[in-house]
Amino acid sequence: MIKKAIANSMQKSPWLYHVNTGSCNGCDIELVACLTPRYDVERFGFKLAGSPRHADIVVVSGPITSQSKERLLRTLEQVPEPYCIVTLGSCPQSGNVFKGSYSVEAPIDKFCHVDVAIAGCTVKPEAVIAGLYKATEILKKKREAMNK
Amino acid sequence: MEYLKILFNILVFPGCLFVGAMGLLLSGIDRKVLARMQKRVGPPIIQPLYDFLKLLGKETIVPKAANRKVFLGAPVVGFAALVVTAALIPVLGYRAFEGSADLIVLLYLLTIPAVALIIGGSSSGNPYAGIGISREMVTMMSYELPLICIFLAVAKKVGGSTLCFSLSQIAAYQQANGSLIGCVSLIPAAAAMLLVIPAEVGTQPFDVAEAETEILEGPLIEYSGAPLAVFKLNTSMKMYIMTALFSALFLGGLATGVTALDVLIQVLLCIALTLICMTTIHAVTARLKIEHLFKFYWTVVAGLAALSLVLVWLGF
Ligand code: SF4
Repeated sequence: MIKKAIANSMQKSPWLYHVNTGSCNGCDIELVACLTPRYDVERFGFKLAGSPRHADIVVVSGPITSQSKERLLRTLEQVPEPYCIVTLGSCPQSGNVFKGSYSVEAPIDKFCHVDVAIAGCTVKPEAVIAGLYKATEILKKKREAMNK
Repeated sequence: MEYLKILFNILVFPGCLFVGAMGLLLSGIDRKVLARMQKRVGPPIIQPLYDFLKLLGKETIVPKAANRKVFLGAPVVGFAALVVTAALIPVLGYRAFEGSADLIVLLYLLTIPAVALIIGGSSSGNPYAGIGISREMVTMMSYELPLICIFLAVAKKVGGSTLCFSLSQIAAYQQANGSLIGCVSLIPAAAAMLLVIPAEVGTQPFDVAEAETEILEGPLIEYSGAPLAVFKLNTSMKMYIMTALFSALFLGGLATGVTALDVLIQVLLCIALTLICMTTIHAVTARLKIEHLFKFYWTVVAGLAALSLVLVWLGF
């Protein structure tokens, strides 16, 4: 019963950690917009955490520059299980307008798994909320899989 | 039977279970009302419980640089100290334990959770935690002085020529002579106590030690999973303990003698005090710098408490 309650809470209280891997700042602003009174993702329990150790969902924005790739992987290693990776915008998926640059390593799925990819340039806050909510469902499933 | 009663007092009421539940309830209400003040919908009131359970279900990582035993032991020490503190504080009329120097014991017990945070943070070996613990230490020093002055003023008022540090005698005095907040000489002390509560709990604007946006939660930065859950629970429990201490010191006259009714009044009082001195102040202020916090407590708050002390000594 406690295990079930824990799995349920996993879905109800996801804390976000945001990694910017060279994004143009457009997607970052839209993520922050989700926390404002207009969209208020805190009603689903989302909270912006300061340290990757507290994170449940890692939000990655930007086209993964060569410099930031190593930092991204190191950050991901520090996140306690179970966690989800959500990509923000078209940049991490394809490189977007930065595609072809010598210093860009996108797409992200070359080095880590991606649970939810939110498309758009920039992403709409509504899409971000829908994507993050989907990620919480995945989190719950991951926790239930750990119970077995 | 004796031992069973003590066990009940420590584990269920007014110890562990009661204070844990109250802490989660108070911080849930705090978050909800804060959200409404900012025109948001806000999380559900049981959100802190979800957070707690979720953290229990996460992996616990001990950093390579950390001292494993101290790192994992610190939150437990803080939790144990808070449970004992909660058992010592009367729930209006109801007292679990009797003592003749409760206030002095409380003064020591109240520092233990902060010290546990400092020790836990410093054992994690993270530089941000280092900044956090130095700030936590300064915060502790700043609210300690006013707190001692407040306790002395109350003890002098109740005890007369001999200082009275016993919480049950303070409660008895208030039941006979009305709440202490009614005395002119103790009103500055009550105001000072209201300002000490947010610093002790560590809510904005006095959360310099755990500032998420600048030093990434300071001492808690390396914690994950169950130890983090216990630390978060400790913060919530402090909310209940400090508000309950306020009502024990200044509002004891509201006791009715019927235990169930007393508990209900106490819960309502705690909620009201949380809204007054934590949520409202949080909603209208931004975080202070550490030197401003120190100056504020050693001038304004300590001044209020000392004023009370002088007035009481002069016999008002
Ligand atoms: S997807 Fe567009 S808005 Fe977002 S970071 Fe990339 S270029 Fe900027």
